[in-house]
Amino acid sequence: MMEKYGTVCVKKGCCDLLRNVKKDLERILLQVQKPSRYTGGELGSVVKDPEKVDVRFAFCFPDVYEVGMSHLGMKILYALTNARENYWCERVFAPDQDMEQLMRERGIPLYGLESLDAIGEFDFIGFTLQYEMSFTAVLNMLDLAGLEVRSKDRRNLWPVVVAGGPCACNPEPVADFIDLFILGEGEEVNLELMDLYLVCKKEGCSKQEFLRRAAQIEGIYVPSLYEVRYHPDGTVAAVAPQEGAPAVVHKRIIRDLDKVFYPENFVVPFTQAVHDRAMVEVLRGCIRGCRFCQAGFIYRPFREKQEDTINRNAHTLCDNTGYDEVSLTSLSTSDYSQLEPLLNGMLTWTEPDAVNIALPSLRVDNFSKELIDRVAAVRKSSLTFAPEAGTQRMRDVINKNVTEEEVLRTCRTAFEGGFTNVKLYFMLGLPTETDEDVEGIVHLAQKVVDLFYHLPDKPKGKGVSVNVSVACFVPKPFTPFEFEPQDTMENLRRKQKILLETVRSRKINVKYHDSPTSFLEAVLARGDRRLCPMVEYAWRSGSKLDGWNDYFRMERWEDAAEVCGIDLAFYANRTRSYDEIMPWDHLDYGVSKVFLIRENERAHQDATTPHCRNHCAGCGANRLLGGACFG
Amino acid sequence: MAELFQTTVRVFWKKEGRIKYISHLDINRCMARALKRSRLPVWHTLGFNPHIYTTFALPLALGYESECESVDFRLTEQVPMQEVVDRLNAVFPEGMAAYHAAPAVQKPEAICWADYRIIQEFDHIPAEQAARTLSDWCARPALPVLKKTKKGERMVDVKPHFSVQGVEAQNNILTLSVRAAAGASLNINPTLVLDTFAAETGTAAGWQRVVRTAILDGTFHDFR
Repeated sequence: MMEKYGTVCVKKGCCDLLRNVKKDLERILLQVQKPSRYTGGELGSVVKDPEKVDVRFAFCFPDVYEVGMSHLGMKILYALTNARENYWCERVFAPDQDMEQLMRERGIPLYGLESLDAIGEFDFIGFTLQYEMSFTAVLNMLDLAGLEVRSKDRRNLWPVVVAGGPCACNPEPVADFIDLFILGEGEEVNLELMDLYLVCKKEGCSKQEFLRRAAQIEGIYVPSLYEVRYHPDGTVAAVAPQEGAPAVVHKRIIRDLDKVFYPENFVVPFTQAVHDRAMVEVLRGCIRGCRFCQAGFIYRPFREKQEDTINRNAHTLCDNTGYDEVSLTSLSTSDYSQLEPLLNGMLTWTEPDAVNIALPSLRVDNFSKELIDRVAAVRKSSLTFAPEAGTQRMRDVINKNVTEEEVLRTCRTAFEGGFTNVKLYFMLGLPTETDEDVEGIVHLAQKVVDLFYHLPDKPKGKGVSVNVSVACFVPKPFTPFEFEPQDTMENLRRKQKILLETVRSRKINVKYHDSPTSFLEAVLARGDRRLCPMVEYAWRSGSKLDGWNDYFRMERWEDAAEVCGIDLAFYANRTRSYDEIMPWDHLDYGVSKVFLIRENERAHQDATTPHCRNHCAGCGANRLLGGACFG
Repeated sequence: MAELFQTTVRVFWKKEGRIKYISHLDINRCMARALKRSRLPVWHTLGFNPHIYTTFALPLALGYESECESVDFRLTEQVPMQEVVDRLNAVFPEGMAAYHAAPAVQKPEAICWADYRIIQEFDHIPAEQAARTLSDWCARPALPVLKKTKKGERMVDVKPHFSVQGVEAQNNILTLSVRAAAGASLNINPTLVLDTFAAETGTAAGWQRVVRTAILDGTFHDFR
């Protein structure tokens, strides 16, 4: 065993605890489903000499390979870290059930896909928290790596267990397990953190000393340096920083997207990932301000990349990966101000190279005939729109500034362009929702069906299919709805029944999400750190890939809540007052609470707020830019 | 059509190391992407979904390595054969290596046999003993093996289609040279035979490595 605190072994090659699992894998891989998820060796994966690197980083995605390999953030940070000669970032995903069982039986620890070395002795283990339901997968992966799941039980400086991603905006339900959280965009702060670590390692610092110093880096939140006190009614009374940690931690952003690092190459999976294609980022943030949407607020301020930067990124990536599809990725790609010139520029090489351009996030209010022709120029993609709510009143409440006419006009354009399949996304259980609003979802879908059959130049010989996908609304931190109660499971189930009973056409296909999952999401999204024991209990009783319906069991969580004395409804179904201290109020994501309150009030007046390009609503995120977002 | 056939190139390549866990379907996609990266003038299918058209003469089972894989595609311009090899090697992932390219001579239907080198590691018995048991088992008048296909299960007597041509036993390691029927009409997977042998005699290896070493036509000459 290495010295815990004293002399430090800087070069990890001398350490015999770094076990390579290659030989062990040989004996089990043909017994598992899709072994290619566990072998590494993909094109574009970065293999370095462990003797020549100073810091080894295990980038863990707490879900299976196919899901994790679709994630753009991981690709960016992977390439960015590996661009530093003396740092080595490897990928790690959650093994599926069959693989995990064999790994546990044979005592094979969790390993990095590049080196096939066990990650338990790496310098960093970093998780990206994309959704609340992956929290137990984080614990399971720590355990598979041979580590204690609680931060305080891991006394050695390394591995430092860090986490980022959208769920880090309220990290309290996993605060006991993660040493530090990285808030906001990681391109700069990740390297600053690793640089500090290297210094601390060479100086022989304790973990505590490293965390104390890390807390001084902007964007780093060390939960153990904050003491939380509660009122007798269970709400937060105060969050007190300790040992010089800042009272408020501000998230990090990249000011100039044209100067920031963007990968020239991706790891190209052998097996098909969920999104198996080249991706370029066109913008960050969102101008829309839909009041339910966490991403729309936590990624502010709005910043665009220049058209030629994006075009260059896309061309380089397609050349280096051999992908025949590239997607223009953002929260709302049709809001990109230079979309037409960008598409024109890209078509000069995508057409001869037989590369398809995918536009995944289009809005119904600015979707043109020209756009549809360009998307369909090489290959026809499917079309998905998100009206989110069925009635105009409801869409005004959530500030989805889209009218029924716009939805129908867009579908008309799509049908005339030869599409016969349209997918519509909605939410159930939105604040102030009535049964009439629920029925409105199906009525809108019916109007789309009717529209198709009344079109003189509808696609010949084909029927229309309108797929209605209905999710349950989950109130999230840093949104104007963070104060809102979630609908109870009973009421959501009742509304799902109304949906099915309202459908009159076989052309409409309604799918809805499971309400227990949404309920638990609501608990974890706005939970405080008193939920940590419950998360651990749920994991110890078998929760690990909760994002997958096959593995999710609500009973485990109900048991865990009971054992840990947690009232789940307190977190999910309670109206929070404007002056209540939220468990995440000491974290600053740019948008101010005053703004969120103002928007919540407007929602209850059925009043909309224009998007940022039209009129600045004063959300506060421009403070991070040091100036106005536009102009 | 005759013209098109003349421009069909057959590239021979090796599949070695951890890439053996990549299935035939995934290798297909991987090869199309590699061809795209190579910028070779490869013919694309026409139609709504233009894509590179490749043919693999004899798919390789998951978990096998190979010294003699082949892939066919059409070129739309003349390219020196060595350049085809070099440009592919520049863009192949770890474990794939092209070593020869030439205009395709035979059709995939010409394939009749394939040779394999199988290395087995035994955990509990000496390799010598496994070798003797295998030799006795092979000497039986018939070797019925249950073959599972998409159409269902059927018993096949592999006796005329499978032979062990060389045996080497050292400590717990058994190295076999095996010849088995191959091709579209009847393809005998050597591990299927060895698994049957293991199940019937209790001689299961703890670990094994299978390498395809040659693909042969009806006259036992290398497939070209």
